[in-house]
Amino acid sequence: MLPSFDVLGFLVSWGTFLGIYAILAVSLNLEVGLTGMANFGKVAFYGIGAYLAASLSVYAVLAVYHVAAAPYTTEGIIALGKYGGASPALDLGIFAASLVLGFIIAGCVGYLLTYPTLRVGPAFLGITLLAFGELLRIFLLNYQPLGASKGLSGIPHPFLWIPDPVLRERLYVLVVLGFLAVTLWFAERITNSPFGRVLKAVRDDEVAALCMGKHVPRVKATVLFIGSGMAGVAGVLLAFYMSSVNPNMFVPAVTFNIWAMVILGGMGNNKGAVVGAAIITFVDRILTFITPNLGITIITPDYVRWMIVGILIVLVLMFMPGGLVPEKPIKTPAWEAVESLEKESKEGGSGGDEA
Amino acid sequence: MTKPILEVKDLAKYFGGVKALDGVTLEVPERGVIGLIGPNGSGKTTLFNVVTGFYVPTRGEVWYAGERIDGLNPNEVFLKGLVRTFQIPRLFPSLTVLENVLLTPPRQVGERVLTAPFRSKWEEQEKELARKAVALLRKFGLGEYVRARVSELSAAHMKMIETIRGLITDARVYLLDEPAAGVAYTTARELFTFIRRLRDEEGLTFFIIEHRLEVLMDFVDYVYVLHNGRLLSEGKPDEVMSDPKVIEAYIGR
Repeated sequence: MLPSFDVLGFLVSWGTFLGIYAILAVSLNLEVGLTGMANFGKVAFYGIGAYLAASLSVYAVLAVYHVAAAPYTTEGIIALGKYGGASPALDLGIFAASLVLGFIIAGCVGYLLTYPTLRVGPAFLGITLLAFGELLRIFLLNYQPLGASKGLSGIPHPFLWIPDPVLRERLYVLVVLGFLAVTLWFAERITNSPFGRVLKAVRDDEVAALCMGKHVPRVKATVLFIGSGMAGVAGVLLAFYMSSVNPNMFVPAVTFNIWAMVILGGMGNNKGAVVGAAIITFVDRILTFITPNLGITIITPDYVRWMIVGILIVLVLMFMPGGLVPEKPIKTPAWEAVESLEKESKEGGSGGDEA
Repeated sequence: MTKPILEVKDLAKYFGGVKALDGVTLEVPERGVIGLIGPNGSGKTTLFNVVTGFYVPTRGEVWYAGERIDGLNPNEVFLKGLVRTFQIPRLFPSLTVLENVLLTPPRQVGERVLTAPFRSKWEEQEKELARKAVALLRKFGLGEYVRARVSELSAAHMKMIETIRGLITDARVYLLDEPAAGVAYTTARELFTFIRRLRDEEGLTFFIIEHRLEVLMDFVDYVYVLHNGRLLSEGKPDEVMSDPKVIEAYIGR
């Protein structure tokens, strides 16, 4: 290996991106893998979370310290640099509030967007959400209070009051991975429950699910609320990590990157989504770490990563059509009951069938 | 006949200028096995779609067990106790046979998103339902298919499971759309024997669309004949089969 390669630094950087993207991939898997809703506008909810965190934190810091300047002016950015990190309580409070509001607001937007789209079929849902994402980006590109094309910067890191930046980053990666753990736990639990069974039924055949008494529009709206809320949290985590946001971070390519993670990992499997996110963020991070050292300037990492992701998807779909970690049957206590029944009838000596 | 459990009064459904249903009045008695026949395009499936909430009627009323149900959504109609099956069985292919049956019971605790993550809140209910489902499948000779994927089943078994999954609920009336389509003659007779058995043992009511009259007529109590959206004839199977209007509608002059 190259002598200048900082392994721990790489792991911290990779871990942070892995955590953020895996939350997005798990949430997309709930929507598309389990419920069959093609969400092509994932980036919108990610962006809502990030912009919410950014605007809330910069405006709050400026208001608390009575700075009259707007956050996107030079004066404002200088003030943010000066006051950010001054109060641990304020920084952590803003972080916590952003996470809660990011989940709720992104979730509610997702929920409301199901109303105009659910009755017109799955393809329209995808296109409507894709269009919504682009509309939102173009709005942000032109909306001055949120920094327009320059975006917002000087977002105070929640651990800015810790003087050592390396320690700060290490603490932050633990927080991000903690959120990933909670997301994955929740997703796995609802997948392996009667609710998960309803989701797969809706995915298989909406009309039949409706005929079996399931309120399909409500089920879909619920899933889009949860999925969008999770994406909002991922956006909040990104904003505080990057310390700045701008509209061009939220182009449709981000959505397709998350789709690539879910396809690679395995549609319908939450753990697969994490595996997919881990592989693609690894490719991404390793390229940004290595290329400067190699002195390659002809091909930028941006192009190479798309090529690698494309080749990976083609290879995986050729040899493992279900993805690296294919979908598993739902595990509920029902099977325990079935097993004990089967044991009983075996001990009883009868085949079980009365008819 | 006993008192009707399902009543359709002057029901009409127009699609633009097309009168798919044009003033149909009929009733299905409790514990009846009632046939609904008619040439293609006569409005049979439209009638089912209006009764089960897929279409809002242009005119008329649908009554179920003393309650007016037209205008409800399909899921609400199901919750009242009406089960509908399709010409091509619509089971959920990524679920096992057991899960297809387990899906049906309404208002399961574990189906709510906030209780779903907490297994202890719904574990008992889930196990109880599983025992009920296995008992039902065994009763009708399908015990060995509990773990099977739906795609591994024969067409006749799929049709049986479509009906059985209604049995785990309190559903009383079954609207079957061509249960004998696409199965062999002897299998079709077995299916109708199964339907009669459900009526006799469980006290269920069946309202059946069927094109295979040679099978249907041996098993139903009463038959309604639709033609161009109107009721053409009704009566006991042999009465209907000898009605010249019915013969004309089916064969043409």
